[in-house]
Amino acid sequence: MEENEFFGEKTFQHYCAEFIKHSQKIGDGWEWRASKDCSDGYMCKTHFQVKNGTAVSHQGTSAHVQTFLPVEEALDPPLDDLEVTETTTAAEVIKYEYHVLYSCSYQVPVLYFRASFLDGRPLALKDIWEGVHECYKMRLLQGPWDTITQQEHPILGQPFFVLHPCKTSEFMTPVLKNSQKINRNVNYITSWLSMVGPAVGLNLPLSYATAASQDEGNVGGQDSSIERKSLEEH
Amino acid sequence: MTDDKDVLRDVWFGRIPTCFTLYQDEITEREAEPYYLLLPRVSYLTLVTDKVKKHFQKVMRQEDISEIWFEYEGTPLKWHYPIGLLFDLLASSSALPWNITVHFKSFPEKDLLHCPSKDVIEAHFMSCVKEADALKHKSQVINEMQKKDHKQLWMGLQNDRFDQFWAINRKLMEYPAEENGFRYIPFRIYQTTTERPFIQKLFRPVSTDGQLHTLGDLLKEVCPSAVAPEVPMPEVCSWLPTWLLASSAEGSHLPSLWRDWEEDGPRLSQQGAENRRNQSPGTETRAVPKRRFTEEDRRF
Repeated sequence: MEENEFFGEKTFQHYCAEFIKHSQKIGDGWEWRASKDCSDGYMCKTHFQVKNGTAVSHQGTSAHVQTFLPVEEALDPPLDDLEVTETTTAAEVIKYEYHVLYSCSYQVPVLYFRASFLDGRPLALKDIWEGVHECYKMRLLQGPWDTITQQEHPILGQPFFVLHPCKTSEFMTPVLKNSQKINRNVNYITSWLSMVGPAVGLNLPLSYATAASQDEGNVGGQDSSIERKSLEEH
Repeated sequence: MTDDKDVLRDVWFGRIPTCFTLYQDEITEREAEPYYLLLPRVSYLTLVTDKVKKHFQKVMRQEDISEIWFEYEGTPLKWHYPIGLLFDLLASSSALPWNITVHFKSFPEKDLLHCPSKDVIEAHFMSCVKEADALKHKSQVINEMQKKDHKQLWMGLQNDRFDQFWAINRKLMEYPAEENGFRYIPFRIYQTTTERPFIQKLFRPVSTDGQLHTLGDLLKEVCPSAVAPEVPMPEVCSWLPTWLLASSAEGSHLPSLWRDWEEDGPRLSQQGAENRRNQSPGTETRAVPKRRFTEEDRRF
């Protein structure tokens, strides 16, 4: 369709492709999935985390202390750690899925996510929250987005949680203006995902940032997907 | 827009005669009678079925009741789709009334969004209106409105108040005199044959050489497989406040595809009518005895 806006769908796909290149280098697990009719697609990542539930008795009421460990650590823990105070519930593995889609209405990327136990039982939003670090919770509450709501995934048709996209261009514009000022190119997807991701449990290794400026290294400060394309032709 | 007032009213007041039956495996203290209702096409299932819920909960125990959900012939019904859309997609070729099964347990988490309160429906509706305005006016009109205007739009829908709704919605349907139309037309095309829930793309109302686009142009461009000479137009649904632009554009016959069902002699959609004509006598399946819908059934 029309590509005269700053962040059109082709530009989105280009940034995703660059992002995925780096992800492949560092084994971060992002991949591109095309829709059945191949007219569009999305970027996605699945990762697993172990939820270690420990019930602690406290004045007759029980409080749950939950920590999220990367799978490798959980598989071989020292025995002492498991024998905690009162009862220890079985560790459960949770599957997290993150999808990055393009919204043609708002002309920005949108983050869709969901989590479920291995048997398919979905996690409610409040359960996902428990795995988010405190400081990111604060950011989410103060962030320039309306809310997280449950919505239908536009390509898969299944329920996902979504960070509402209507304010995205508001907080991304200063980021991009600034990068143009200092003549340094950024990968829109990298910048955006590094801001919204942690609020919902998704972290980006720092190497993405250096990769972004290296890829676009010597190109002039103006945004130009055309210039980038010519880089890729080498 | 004044010429189209009849069309606007026809669309708004479209109704589908529906029979709600409790799922046979629900635990009841006594027999549950089916419940009849004329559902508004432009509204949402969970917004207009309070009476349905109350009716069935009367014969159930509190502990056997959790979140209500609806199903038609095994397909869970997405409450966040307009009722008219659900019907056209799934049941328009079947005999009336529309037979919907009511469930109170085993909520299908993988298929349906949760609907814990009316606020969720309002948030969904407003989100659709805002997204449509992002396409039509770069969100300028919706953002310039006060919160009370947004509320009036919602209350108009909730309380079936045409005038209340359109007092606000008309502003969302205007465009500057120098333009030929909206920036982009907000539309979604739903088909049962695709895995993808709907097709939505950027589409301008006017071509580069100044010609007004028709609905046929839109379909050719975004859904070429659907346009074929001998086949009736596929069921097309646009968003609630905005599809009417398509109806006033040249060459559209959208209203004739969606006739509302009258009590004693429903005028059917083209496709539905054809299917009905082709059906051999005696093969219609009807879960419950034929019944005449009354004024009472309009009150949801």
